[in-house]
Amino acid sequence: MNLPLIFLVLFAILLVGLLAWALRPPAQQIRPALDVFEALRQSRHASRMSQIFQALQPQDTEFLGRAGQASLMQTIRRERRTIALNYLRQLQEEFAMLLEISRVLAVMSPEVIAMEEMERWKLSLAFAANCAFLRWKLRLGIQPFSGFTLLSNMATSFARRLEAATTRIAEATVQSAQSSGHPNENPGSF
Amino acid sequence: MVEPPQLQTVAWALTTALELVLFLQFVRRKIGRIYPLFFAYLASVLLQSVAVAGLYRTQNLDKMAVWKIAWLTQGFVVFLRALALVELNRRVLARYIGIWGLARRIFLGVAAAVIAYDLFLSKGQWQWLILNGIRGLELAMAAVIVTMLIFARYYRVPVNQLQRALAIGLCLYSIFYVVNYSLLEKILREYPFVWNFLGLFAFIASLLVWIGAANRYTAAEEVEMPQTIPAEVYGMISSEVNARLILLNRQLMQFLHLENRGQ
Repeated sequence: MNLPLIFLVLFAILLVGLLAWALRPPAQQIRPALDVFEALRQSRHASRMSQIFQALQPQDTEFLGRAGQASLMQTIRRERRTIALNYLRQLQEEFAMLLEISRVLAVMSPEVIAMEEMERWKLSLAFAANCAFLRWKLRLGIQPFSGFTLLSNMATSFARRLEAATTRIAEATVQSAQSSGHPNENPGSF
Repeated sequence: MVEPPQLQTVAWALTTALELVLFLQFVRRKIGRIYPLFFAYLASVLLQSVAVAGLYRTQNLDKMAVWKIAWLTQGFVVFLRALALVELNRRVLARYIGIWGLARRIFLGVAAAVIAYDLFLSKGQWQWLILNGIRGLELAMAAVIVTMLIFARYYRVPVNQLQRALAIGLCLYSIFYVVNYSLLEKILREYPFVWNFLGLFAFIASLLVWIGAANRYTAAEEVEMPQTIPAEVYGMISSEVNARLILLNRQLMQFLHLENRGQ
């Protein structure tokens, strides 16, 4: 048996595995009556990243070590790492929520943009990998780092951009509902 | 398709009996109206079983002619199975117009790639081209079913019990055909009875899955049309959602890079 044929058989076996996976119910059930605009307006954990970074800085707790309170310093650092881990979990939830919104929209849209769907798929893989990596780093102990201001600025500017975008979208939805002759009392509620 | 030993005859009879049971279930529960192409496939399988059994028992016919007729009917059955698969995909996804538009293109791409790869294995020899073509078609059908189910899972599109059962049965049979043709047939070349029997066994398993689902089927399983939103609204929110996802991911990346720089 030659190599291309082996690949073919392996592909067939892989399909059995994928079939079993695809038939399993998803871990997260769909949220009934997901309000897209409400979900988009929810507070963003990303905007609090600078505070989390600040709390993880060793300089924040170094003075305790110098004052002879090494055990207290370790305890605080451990607690702050736990907070950072929780924060990371919240980020993941935020990411999952955005994916959920995109799915709900795609299901209801008469046209789905393939490139955007593909982009989301790639992003979700990259994000999951980054999160897993970061979680392990946090568990093993964070090293000093800098540049939090940059991240904080990014988050703030994005928050402003998103705010403007959601307003634009809401306006467009109301307009399209009016032009189609089916006024919707709650345009954001799909 | 040689003179089957006794065990294979029993398996053959069992297969025909199960095909008949499923056919009657489809008629009784009016499933044939919802899945007319699958129903046609089922009818063709049943007719094929009866016709081929009759042909093999006719004494005066040329064995080669019988073999050719048998394979011709097999080609027709495979064609109907492919149509039944298209029908199943349509039933699951077509109500979601946007998703269906995207899925159709992906299905065609997946099917074309799989068939092309399989035909590449023939290396231009026409006798292998036909047999490998059938194998390629079977593998493409399995790949399309799996892609459809992954699509349905990702977008949380409801797939009812009957649709699942039809997908599982079609997919497992196709995969088994590919493995049987590529692997078992070569390993068990000396024992054609064994791989013929295994082929029948795979089909019996599919039939049992379908019969089980048909027994439990109720008309209430069919879902209604979903609400729709204007495509431009989807386009706008979709790109904003992507921007937000990119930002979240970029922040994590920055986090990692800054941390590495600090170390």
